[in-house]
Amino acid sequence: MTDSRFLALGLVAPALALVAALFLYPLGFSLVTAFTHEGVLSLANFGKAFDLYSVDILYTLFIVLLAGALTAVAAVAIAGVLTLGETPWLVGALRALYRWPLFIPFIVAGQCMRTFLAKNGLMNNSFVAMGLLDPLQTASLLDWRGIVITFVWKQAPFVTLLLAGAMASLDRATIEAGRNLGAGRLRVLVEIVLPQVMPTLLVALVLSFVTTMSVLSVPMMVAGSQPTMLTVDMAFRINAYGDYPVANALGVISYAITGLAAWFYLRQSIRKEAAA
Amino acid sequence: MRSALLALAVSAALAAPASAQTLNVATAGDQNMVDYIKDYLGPLFEKSHPGVKVVAVGTGPGDSGSQKIFEKLSAQKAANAPAWDFDVVVIHQKMAGDMAKDALLAKYRGDIPTGKLVTRDTAENSLGADVSGYVMPMFHSQTAIAYNADMVKDVPNSYPELAAWAKAHPKQFGYNGIKGGMSGVAFVAGWIYAFGQDGDKLLKGPYDASAKAGWDKALADLKEFNKNVVITPGNAGTLDMLNRGEIAMGPVWVDMFYTWQADGKLPPNMKLKLVAPGMPGQPMYYAVPAKAAQKKLAEDFIALATSPEVQAQGIVKKFNWYPGIDAQNLEGKLDKADWNKLFTDITPADLSSKGKPFPIAPYFNDILESYEKKVAN
Repeated sequence: MTDSRFLALGLVAPALALVAALFLYPLGFSLVTAFTHEGVLSLANFGKAFDLYSVDILYTLFIVLLAGALTAVAAVAIAGVLTLGETPWLVGALRALYRWPLFIPFIVAGQCMRTFLAKNGLMNNSFVAMGLLDPLQTASLLDWRGIVITFVWKQAPFVTLLLAGAMASLDRATIEAGRNLGAGRLRVLVEIVLPQVMPTLLVALVLSFVTTMSVLSVPMMVAGSQPTMLTVDMAFRINAYGDYPVANALGVISYAITGLAAWFYLRQSIRKEAAA
Repeated sequence: MRSALLALAVSAALAAPASAQTLNVATAGDQNMVDYIKDYLGPLFEKSHPGVKVVAVGTGPGDSGSQKIFEKLSAQKAANAPAWDFDVVVIHQKMAGDMAKDALLAKYRGDIPTGKLVTRDTAENSLGADVSGYVMPMFHSQTAIAYNADMVKDVPNSYPELAAWAKAHPKQFGYNGIKGGMSGVAFVAGWIYAFGQDGDKLLKGPYDASAKAGWDKALADLKEFNKNVVITPGNAGTLDMLNRGEIAMGPVWVDMFYTWQADGKLPPNMKLKLVAPGMPGQPMYYAVPAKAAQKKLAEDFIALATSPEVQAQGIVKKFNWYPGIDAQNLEGKLDKADWNKLFTDITPADLSSKGKPFPIAPYFNDILESYEKKVAN
């Protein structure tokens, strides 16, 4: 090996050590704890995790998938207007506004939604004041709907940001050709623009999926605890029982779910590189 | 030259507080606990001990807050640290037993003058674990059912009546399950006291791992009961929903209830009821870590905190808790009106007959886990 190779290794070493100490070691440790019961290798912790939290596992999947789907719809709509919109002031206003939720932490969003979505909260009270609803018709959205609404509100700007960037870098000629041949803007969006930016949309959704899987504050603050998301169960396992093995088993189940998403992401990016 | 001056200034700035004494107080519990130390007790102690600075750290509500203190101390013990970072810790019952058993706490109650002002069982026995000498109760608190007197005319007196009321008034009763704070946990424990078998054994032991089989019927009924109630997000969540009129009844901590009411965050027509056979309450404990850096100061701090004056003015009058030391020691330190305020809805007789402790620790865990398995999942 030449000196420059050593130098390069030396430069990388601190970063590698950091990754090993702060990520690989805890990951390995949690895997070992999850698969060990009373000193021997076993699946007992997973048995208990499924026994106690099977509903919550499905509930978590339901929430993150639904939130992902709605996020996609919202992001496509916003990015579509930004790319194809023909009303300058509307496009300008939307461009200025849509990024704001990106800068708001999840816990603050949770705190706001808690009073906004309640039965007699700000949203319903405004509807009642506008005469759109009777006070007796109001319903609380502080359950799974509240979590989904918060996630979509928080994640749509992130997906839009990536998507609008991809749309802006498209060859405008394809769009204009479609418009010249008489296609409406919606049709251009769905049939010409969206297929070209699909890989970016999927990647953005995968990243958003992994983020929503790991949020603890929103399910804790917005909705009651039955059923609840896996993050809340993990926290409860540790806080109420000091039971790290089952909490780690739940963690491994989360990795498995996000691992699937990551596999999807990697496959997409490899394809994209191969195509480029 | 300039940087040398700067370094000098920085090191001087760092050295200055170190020459004065710092007392690190870590407290589990809701924000009101941190406020109590930071805004009331800390300044009081600094006034009587010039040069001492009290630093209060909150570690979070519920047993998780105590869990964090436990983990910090046990890590410092495992690392053989000569002096641990906390001088005074404020912890929940379940963790106090574990910490005493693991030799994380100092035996100090006999060394402070206020040690003999408390004779209650909770100073010796914490959910079945022997903690005598290691802890002083900071206060006692109690859960009860809060209700809106305008909406609830036939106030239930017992758990069976409450269950019937909730069935007749769907979605008018709310509680926070067991993962959103202790008021929900207390409601569930009370449910098992009422409908499980052998309620008394849960409080006194001995532990019998097969006892949980006797709760199946009670838990199945609770699952049925849950269909007609609202699961709220947290202790404060229940109070919020009561305040907005979204539910008419729910379990709350008595101290939070009075504080919220005094702050105008609950309407004045809200009342409290302690239903039979009873609901749990708990103390918070002051303890000193075995290797506290400032052991003497820590003892002085706790002696002040458990003195009759501070218990009267701080604990009862300002924060609406029941005193940690025996009530007769507070006589003459408090206006009659302030004292009576604590007993407006719940009489001392109610409190002594229906104010129960939480179950001993192994039963406590069994109840929570059975609930997760049979009610929530």
